Amino acid sequence: MTGPVSLPRRLPPQVAPPSTTETMMLDVMIALVPALCMAVFFFGVRVLLLTAVSMVTCVLTERLYRRLRHLNDTTGDRSACVTGLLLAMSLPATADYWVPILGGVFAIVVVKQFYGGLGKNFMNPALGGRMLLATFPMLMTQWSQPMDWLPLFKVDAVSAATPMSFLHEGTLPPQTLGQLLLGQKGGCFGEVSAFMLILGGIYLILRRVISPRIPLSYLGTVAVLALLFPGEGCNPFLWMLAELFSGGLLLGAFFMATDPATSPVTPRGQVMFGVGCGLLTGLLRCHSSYPEGVGWAILTMNCCVWLLDRAGLPRRFGVSNFAVTRALLHKTRVSLGKIKFVKPQLSLLRDLREGRMPGEAHLDVIRVYAKAAGTLAAGVLVMLGVIFSVHRWTDYRIVRAETAEQQTLLSQVMPQAAFCSEAPYRANGALRITAAYSAENELMGYCVEVQSQGFGGVITMEVGVDLDGKVTGVAVTDHKETAGTGTMAMTPAALSRYIGRSGTLRTSGRNAVDAVSGATATSKAITTGVNRALSIVANLDKAEEIDYEDSET
Amino acid sequence: MIHSFFGGVFPAVQKNSTRRKPIAQLSRPPARVILPMTMSAGGCAAPLVQVGDRVTVGQPIAIDAAQRLPIHASVSGRVADIAPMPHPWGGAGDAIVLENDGLNTPWPGRPAPLDPETLTRDQLLERVRTCGVVGMGGGAFPTWQKLEQAAGHIDTLIVNAAECEPYVTADHRLLLERSDQLLRGTRVLARCLGAKRTAIVTEGDKLNAVEAVERRLRKKNSRVELYAIRTRYPLGAEKQIIQTVTGREIPTGKQPVDVKCLVLNVATVYAIQEALFKGLALTSRVITVTGGAVIRPRNLWVPIGTPLETLLEEAGGLKEPCARLLIGGPMMGFAPDELSAPAVKNVNALVALAAWEQQDSQAESVCIRCGKCVSSCPMHLAPTFIVQAMQAKDVRRLRRLHTEDCIACGCCSYICPARIPLVELVALAKEQVGKEAV
Repeated sequence: MTGPVSLPRRLPPQVAPPSTTETMMLDVMIALVPALCMAVFFFGVRVLLLTAVSMVTCVLTERLYRRLRHLNDTTGDRSACVTGLLLAMSLPATADYWVPILGGVFAIVVVKQFYGGLGKNFMNPALGGRMLLATFPMLMTQWSQPMDWLPLFKVDAVSAATPMSFLHEGTLPPQTLGQLLLGQKGGCFGEVSAFMLILGGIYLILRRVISPRIPLSYLGTVAVLALLFPGEGCNPFLWMLAELFSGGLLLGAFFMATDPATSPVTPRGQVMFGVGCGLLTGLLRCHSSYPEGVGWAILTMNCCVWLLDRAGLPRRFGVSNFAVTRALLHKTRVSLGKIKFVKPQLSLLRDLREGRMPGEAHLDVIRVYAKAAGTLAAGVLVMLGVIFSVHRWTDYRIVRAETAEQQTLLSQVMPQAAFCSEAPYRANGALRITAAYSAENELMGYCVEVQSQGFGGVITMEVGVDLDGKVTGVAVTDHKETAGTGTMAMTPAALSRYIGRSGTLRTSGRNAVDAVSGATATSKAITTGVNRALSIVANLDKAEEIDYEDSET
Repeated sequence: MIHSFFGGVFPAVQKNSTRRKPIAQLSRPPARVILPMTMSAGGCAAPLVQVGDRVTVGQPIAIDAAQRLPIHASVSGRVADIAPMPHPWGGAGDAIVLENDGLNTPWPGRPAPLDPETLTRDQLLERVRTCGVVGMGGGAFPTWQKLEQAAGHIDTLIVNAAECEPYVTADHRLLLERSDQLLRGTRVLARCLGAKRTAIVTEGDKLNAVEAVERRLRKKNSRVELYAIRTRYPLGAEKQIIQTVTGREIPTGKQPVDVKCLVLNVATVYAIQEALFKGLALTSRVITVTGGAVIRPRNLWVPIGTPLETLLEEAGGLKEPCARLLIGGPMMGFAPDELSAPAVKNVNALVALAAWEQQDSQAESVCIRCGKCVSSCPMHLAPTFIVQAMQAKDVRRLRRLHTEDCIACGCCSYICPARIPLVELVALAKEQVGKEAV
């Protein structure tokens, strides 16, 4: 007689899963295609080549890395392709071809594979690579105009204003809402077409590749922030729409923040993640020196995912939120009650060992403390030394050298003045205008740096002009004249002939400074420069009162 | 007021091949039936007959002393053997083998029908016990014990017709074809158990059954509520159906009675009313034989103890190699060891999956932390974290993640894009926690 038969363990579900990693990655790529098409329409075929370079780099890097580390090849899951595509789409269309290569290698090797590959990285690889590139400011601030088709090679450095820079300044961008939506604006080529990105996002949500929790909470938070704090004198609603449709917000919210590996697993955590991204984006867009904040916001929140995962764990089945909170409070009270404040025993000279000499035991203890203190002091000293020397050798030295140079120049062009400072004037033809002051803080005149065409090239000179319009001194700071002949016009004696002159100087006739023989062209050039400086000072717009109270003098 | 449960998945229902087929009798009665001594969860009966005895349909041939639950002959004929035979739940157990004489002679000593108007609670319990009714939705728990616990302590009686498993249509057809009897049984049960509210829960993919029941409800002006809920797996699980109807959640370790509910499968209710009003013991049930590998999928009235191979023959046999033969649906079903095992009281379907329907046997890949398992777990668990903690052998963390709440519905394994067998791993984790607790 056998005993009872118990019910068997269940088998895992036998029907095929609705989606696999591979199909999810493919869906992400499909969702990005419309935005890529718009980018091709606006910026030309160049963006396709950039995208191809980026994707090929990512796939090859991953394959190479896995082979070198003797790991199985994981390029079949298509995640490297998605990384490459997203990285390329967050680049400006004018980027050189080495830019996606550098970003792709960094994204795959450092951000993804160093942490163990797909699913184990804590930062979005594409965004990590992009933000590395963003630290080279000249790479990532050259936005080209839409409808200005770029050639495949040799792109001129152009810089068009993006809507983000207008928003950063506190004004609405000049584009209409339709242009913002379709993408006729400057920016990274993947992020310009807001409409196509929304289309792709809806596709992903319908295909259940992403849940709407992250994008909706992210966009919602940004929208609420924009409604609450619009730019001065702007319609809050228009401001909100402009904030939503410009910059990388939609690309970030639908494609970067929802990256499964680097976003929270728990539903509540995902909502918190989205809200956090939104708050950080709003903050960075308004109060940072950089007009865009999406990338940094998402990367920052990526680092908080472990915390959100814990905080967002679903409520236990059968236990209401109220009961959970009450239990938590009770537990906290109990554990706080367990803390007993014991009077600390701060005897420094505990467990002394017996020594032969009186006080020898104490010596042992003191030696330990002294050793520790000595190590600490040494460490602090070394650190201080490093910090001090770095400071001295970089900051201090440069400033000092600049000040000394300025002082020698000043003594040449305006010997009466004691110091000078940057004047708040700008004029055509003047490289720099500095105001010179006497020791009693009285304005004595202006030093103008001008350029003129000499015999061998451009001559840069500093001309001092006092308040009566008279030249107080001339100094040549840079030139390409022939040594021996051209420089004859630059001797202190030759230059001192200009002192005290005013009006328009000629090389012959009335009010003339004669050309130095053998260096006629150079003399004429210097005279031209002095004339330019005189006219600049004479035409300085002094009608406007300038308050010097705030300046450092 | 209807509530909802969290999570769930939407597998393709795959019920089109049998949903329109009426319940049919077996064309050829089985030559031999095998009646295992284990018919209910944890039960083990002792034979009352000897080899060579003649038996009739409905005659008790064995009794479980502990659960006081008899087992009845499902066909008339001769006791051919009492020996260990393969059991559909796995392994082998003692069983009585009957040789069918094909006459279906009813047992002369069967109890008289009871009057629904004067039925008392004790009569109900006694009749349900002597007719050998067990939970027919899968649990196989003795129904009379369940009723005894619930009597007087519940305010809601739920009849579970939410057949959320793909492929299975047995409950659907029963609800459609026997609506009258089911409603009568439901009303009497509700009255005897003292339930204030009675709900029949079914799903949106069984609208013809919904219509049939609704028409009868309107005619009788009955207070029984009928809910047709959007098809979502696992609506038919006990905890989820109670949450859907009442909004109450059963904490782990508690019974439905603790939240004043009783859930009975629609087939169980049918068996109860047959016992009450016709005096018939539970000797046959509806079984769906389906799957892509089956030539003629159909719903069948099957005497308990019919071998599974007879059922497959009845459905025309296999047209292509069967990748996986399952008792129950593909989400929570289990595979019998042998085809000669009999269909017992909790078998509601026999599904022969063809290779193209089955989950491809690709190797699992790494977790990409998509979070689908968390957002689809109806028990509010985080399977991916549980698996992590199990691999790290961190029992404290497992307990903090409430591993013991798992009901093994398989949503997480189904939804996982990396094809990780999460439900199996969570079951292992559950064992780890259990071991630590001892």
